[in-house]
Amino acid sequence: MAEVAEAKRNFLEYSGPKPGVKYPISVLYCGECGVPVEYCEFYPTYEKCKAWLEKNLPDEFEKLKVDKTPTVVVASGEDDGAAAETKEEEGEKKKRQTRGGKAIMKAKKKIEPQGIKLWTQTRGKKKKVTIIVGLASYEIDLKEASKFFAGKFSCGSSISGEDEIVVQGDVKDELFDILPEKWKIIDEDDIDDCGEKK
Amino acid sequence: MFKKFDDKENVGNTNIAKSSVQKGIRNQILDQFQHIEDYLDQIMPKKEPLKLVKCTEHIELLSNQAGEVLFFRQREGPLYPSLRLLHKYPFILPHMQVDKGAIRFVLSGANIMCPGLTSPGARMTNVDKDQIVAIMAEGKQHALAVGLTKMPTEEILSKNKGVGVDNIHFLNDGLWLMKPIK
Repeated sequence: MAEVAEAKRNFLEYSGPKPGVKYPISVLYCGECGVPVEYCEFYPTYEKCKAWLEKNLPDEFEKLKVDKTPTVVVASGEDDGAAAETKEEEGEKKKRQTRGGKAIMKAKKKIEPQGIKLWTQTRGKKKKVTIIVGLASYEIDLKEASKFFAGKFSCGSSISGEDEIVVQGDVKDELFDILPEKWKIIDEDDIDDCGEKK
Repeated sequence: MFKKFDDKENVGNTNIAKSSVQKGIRNQILDQFQHIEDYLDQIMPKKEPLKLVKCTEHIELLSNQAGEVLFFRQREGPLYPSLRLLHKYPFILPHMQVDKGAIRFVLSGANIMCPGLTSPGARMTNVDKDQIVAIMAEGKQHALAVGLTKMPTEEILSKNKGVGVDNIHFLNDGLWLMKPIK
């Protein structure tokens, strides 16, 4: 125990803002996984992250490469015995992980845009509603979209399911023009007219 | 706390804080974090109202007008800074540095075990029990988690077993992934 205590003789200081550093510090976040770039290597999407970094910020990519080597040297230079030990430990952990497969959270799958589907449905004898499905897969906020439709068509509009908006009145034709105009990610060809429901 | 947290399921309604409540929060922050004083106006300008978001398990998030979560707390407990805020102002919390081997486990939400804090790659700040700390990592610049110490630093050194720091909020957990609050 004394040995450990001795290794710890230099405590970190809780000393407040560092002089010469301008706050707030701007941190570079990875566009792929969203964490600071230095932590990308711990996520399953590392390969993609590297590609992203190389494409968008080649300077940082080079830096990351250069950074790697000296840190390894420092770690092993500090205490050779301990470094070897930790390596062994790591090997063991890795083995255990493949069996249990619990160590790291899986990356959440991004939902691919699946196109937008439009239906009309008859309410009463002569009135119609329009059902829009698929907006959420474009990462559009349904509440916002519903409000937008209500304002645009001056009619009732509600969210009726996980990824479903019901607009009162037959507004299918207008939607073909308005959707790509309002949200640039939507292409007019993605919108699918599925006719009448039921 | 945020390992299984989803902004669809766990988030309730948003309120704008009354000025008296906001004053209370400001005082609590000043109380809790010694070094924040000069920067508090930058973090949360006095004129700008705070948003309070109620979530399940009595969690309350404090966010600024831009919808960025600044602090959070459970029940009437202490205020924890969010990681995004901590990245900008790393000095507000005492740092605890873990060794390389521990990073992957911390990133998947594990509590920080004593050996990960006492090995050669790790460094600690001398703190008491129940202190909010920033978890840093060997060879990295930015914090990867926010934790709450479960024993004083000396005990971590002498005991060297079991959970040393509870993992409250870590990179890529539910709170980190949350979209800006409206």
